[in-house]
Amino acid sequence: MTTDFFLYCIINTVCVALIAPLFVSLVKKVKAWTQGRQGPSLFQTYFTLAKLLKKEVIYSKDASWVSRAAPWICIAATLSASLFVPLVYVTEPMGGIGNIILFLYLLVLARFFMALGGLDAGSSFGGMGSSREMSISAVIEPTTIIVFAALAFVFRSLNIIDMASIAAATGTPVTPTLILLGISLFIILIVETARIPVDNPETHLELTMIHEGMILEQSGRNLALLELSSAVKQVVLMGLLINLIVPWGIATSLSLIPLAEAIGIFIVKAAFLALIIGLFESSMAKMRFFRLPSLFMMAFFFSTLIIIIEVFA
Amino acid sequence: MTDAAFFDGIVKVLFVCVIVTSAYIITTKNLISLVRVYSLQSLVLFAIALALWWYTNEPVLLAIAILTLVFKVLLIPYFIASIQERIRIKRDIDFHFLSPTSSLLISLGLMIAIYITLSRILPGSVYNDTLFFFGAVIGISLVLMGMMVTFSRKRAITKVLGYLSMENGVLLFGIFATELPFIIEFLIVIDLVILILLTTILTVGIDSTLEEYHNRLHRFYLWEEMEESS
Repeated sequence: MTTDFFLYCIINTVCVALIAPLFVSLVKKVKAWTQGRQGPSLFQTYFTLAKLLKKEVIYSKDASWVSRAAPWICIAATLSASLFVPLVYVTEPMGGIGNIILFLYLLVLARFFMALGGLDAGSSFGGMGSSREMSISAVIEPTTIIVFAALAFVFRSLNIIDMASIAAATGTPVTPTLILLGISLFIILIVETARIPVDNPETHLELTMIHEGMILEQSGRNLALLELSSAVKQVVLMGLLINLIVPWGIATSLSLIPLAEAIGIFIVKAAFLALIIGLFESSMAKMRFFRLPSLFMMAFFFSTLIIIIEVFA
Repeated sequence: MTDAAFFDGIVKVLFVCVIVTSAYIITTKNLISLVRVYSLQSLVLFAIALALWWYTNEPVLLAIAILTLVFKVLLIPYFIASIQERIRIKRDIDFHFLSPTSSLLISLGLMIAIYITLSRILPGSVYNDTLFFFGAVIGISLVLMGMMVTFSRKRAITKVLGYLSMENGVLLFGIFATELPFIIEFLIVIDLVILILLTTILTVGIDSTLEEYHNRLHRFYLWEEMEESS
């Protein structure tokens, strides 16, 4: 492993872990604004995580080792997945890191263990949440694969880090495929982070909840890990969208000033994206469960179109 | 960036906008936004015609662009919106034969089929010019997608919109693949306006005297909301 790549891993992971909670609060803040409320502070998610880390962990009496391992597996899988998506600095990929299929599987691994953890505690809410999450992920899976296949077709590479460096090098002029790709990736982002047309991240103790249902039985440190891993997942997918569609400003050399600039630019761009997500979420009602496939179908349609355009034109 | 490359890029982006709007027209259930999206689609066509005029300098294209702007972006959507206001239909949630999801899938298949067919039958000169070829493919796909809207929706007003979007496809195909004479384009637009006017009369004005018409309208799902409110 070269020093460059080692440093890339460290920078990327630190960046992801540090700025992930910020965007969770930012989306909440935007939603609060649209409802005419002040909303929580931008650092609220950090405070919550710090508080949860100090608290005691309580397991249900039915819980097995799965409940104990699931949060760690989730955070490990999402943090490894975060290595695959360069946020602020892009370099030559090494080994299997950056591979698009491995990236998907790491996300699915986290999701699978989260669902198992929901089932494990033996509460009926957790079971319902897991069952819904698994049905949704079974339906979204083909769409996700097609979207990523379209990415691979557009950038002629199977490696996300390569794609990001191609995008950074060419500066990505606005081409038709990228618009379609942006729409598809946005839908994937909404679905994967359990946002409103699919799931409501604000409900607790309601029969509609999906993601919150699964982590209902977790407490203390484990809950903090799960919250952090969903925040990381969100920022990773946002980074994917941003660095492939609007890659201006990403650092390609390891010196301090471009790096600091890149971090600043990324935060601005991601804040803008978070604003869009918040507005999108506020402007929509939650969809009925059986209507969700038509949302996924949009992403599927657009990405298949990309592949057609790329192959034939 | 040269003129040709710039033109190419702009028109391709506009093509994508056409496809996105037609996908929305196929799937949406909200009639008000349906009309807005139709008007947006026509606006995109106006932009395409304008870009082509800028590129080739043929006055016919400018005329087509202005015709599109006046009739399809402003006049027809306004008429339909006023019909909607009177008959108080906001949503069209019934679908015949096809759900929105399967219509999207089928339209994908249609596009591929049209692509393959056109690449066999069009002369080589058109085929080699990717932009014009794609314009033709998207035009015909738009026609067939509009046809799908026409038969898969239940409300008459949505059917009319499907027909209008079909006509947009004809216009697109006409601009890119063949030289459609301006007079035919003009006649088509006049026909559209008459169609919309007829729809307005049929849906709003005629029931004051003829019982028969009223019953027939009732059968076509155009009147039930009115009856409930009166």
